[in-house]
Amino acid sequence: MKKKEVRVVTCIICPVGCRARVTIENGKISKIEGLECPRGEEYVTGELEAPVRDFFTTIRIKGAMTPILPVRSTQPIPKDKIMDCILELASIVVDAPIKAGDIIVKNPLGLGVNVIATRDMDQAKKGENSAYLAKS
Amino acid sequence: MVKREIDIAVIGGGAAGLAAAIKAKEKGIENIVILERNEELGGILPQCIHTGFGLSYFKENLNGPEYISRFIKKVEDLQIEYKLNTMVLEITAGKKITAVNSIDGLLELQAKAIVLAMGCRERTRGALGIAGTRPAGILTAGTAQRLMDIEGYMPGAKVVILGSGDIGLIMARRFVMEGAKVEAVVEILPYASGLSRNVVQCLEDFNIPLLFEHTITTIHGTDRLEAVTVAKVDADWKPIQETERTITCDTLILSVGLIPENELSQSAGIVLDSATGGPIVNEYMETSVPGIFGCGNVVHVYDLVDHVTQAGELAGESAARYVLNELPPLRKKLALKAGDNVKSVVPQIISSEEPVTLHLRAKKPMRNVKVKVGNLIIPKRVVRPPEMVVVNLTERTLEKLKKEDELEVSIGEEAGP
Repeated sequence: MKKKEVRVVTCIICPVGCRARVTIENGKISKIEGLECPRGEEYVTGELEAPVRDFFTTIRIKGAMTPILPVRSTQPIPKDKIMDCILELASIVVDAPIKAGDIIVKNPLGLGVNVIATRDMDQAKKGENSAYLAKS
Repeated sequence: MVKREIDIAVIGGGAAGLAAAIKAKEKGIENIVILERNEELGGILPQCIHTGFGLSYFKENLNGPEYISRFIKKVEDLQIEYKLNTMVLEITAGKKITAVNSIDGLLELQAKAIVLAMGCRERTRGALGIAGTRPAGILTAGTAQRLMDIEGYMPGAKVVILGSGDIGLIMARRFVMEGAKVEAVVEILPYASGLSRNVVQCLEDFNIPLLFEHTITTIHGTDRLEAVTVAKVDADWKPIQETERTITCDTLILSVGLIPENELSQSAGIVLDSATGGPIVNEYMETSVPGIFGCGNVVHVYDLVDHVTQAGELAGESAARYVLNELPPLRKKLALKAGDNVKSVVPQIISSEEPVTLHLRAKKPMRNVKVKVGNLIIPKRVVRPPEMVVVNLTERTLEKLKKEDELEVSIGEEAGP
């Protein structure tokens, strides 16, 4: 028996925000309606076949002015791996100083990307009075 | 008390202020001071750990800390002076600045030009008048962002978000990533206030319900928030009582608009625009007080930092030209007035023949429209309130513009074929 479903995907490539109605038959896209340009078609196809997202979060840091360090992946990762990746990083603690661009985790979950620091974190000087109250 | 004379004072060290200071220095002004009340430069960007910054300015996809660190580094490289932990108390029309910090004590700066770059702040519960008790656990989206992404605190475990502004949507995703449950985003309008990219990637990706034409009618809880009552609203935004239901939660995040922060502008007697909440400016970003310029969210609230940087550069360049006596004399003043489906337009005044970029905010979403600036007509496929409409007027288009004292800027439907 033929399996047929229709899914609605909002295109985010430009402010027009077309809503595409995509017909999927036996797991394959057979028809896309409601898009105004070819860029949208590429986005919608990717979004259904292999959706990816930028990945970013924070990890803990010791000895800096703030207790956490913002990090991101060097390339987008599969959408369904975001929460796994978050958990993978949850237990990591690094020590200051850190430089923006430093690799924090190499190839997490074998995704083929690195997780890098996105800002410099100097060591807090002794007695430095930070409003952030770093408690690490 | 420290007293000094300087060329340009920049008030605020965020995206707008840093860009202004850098541009002014590059234009040859030596004696510049940036005054910043926080303990680091960068404004709001250090806490914006999500990506999407710099796509237009750098053609790169950066996060907030990465974007702003490029400007902080440039300020350092150009040896531009900045004072942190410094609160500006007053500025005068004579461009005298009174500020205070724990190193200089009271500080009095006499500047030749001032760039206002104080940014904006969030609307709070007080501005909304929601009924109910006043428990802990109700905070603005930006406060939650600072707690979670700079200070390392988790504000709550079960969250409701009021308003679908971009920061609220972004925090919905952050809450889920950090292990909280986001019960719903409640929006009084029939469409999202934030960018559709954020609706898709922050809500739909995590199956967070977005309730359109809904609002919060009651807040419950004594010490800590325990629940909120939500209801559907009618066409006049009045809650429909029969639709009320209660959602259990310990945290309510407000993402209900940003207000330009202009107490200092008012102390200098600068004329504000009631539509933007910021100073009325001309195409040089000069306010009603000659030699005082404004840029960024203090003038009107932007949706992209890349545009804030450009506005900062323009204001910084103008301030430098003012100090060097190179700013062209203001010719005829054309006042731009917001017409149909236009909430606000910046600049509000055009005073010379140099090219100018207009930024309009639409009141409601429309498709296949024509934007009218006086007798000029610019077609656009779509306008949406969350995304500013940008209209570039070149010298050639300005020539075609009928020079009346007042020009209406409006967005209307395109006449059918």
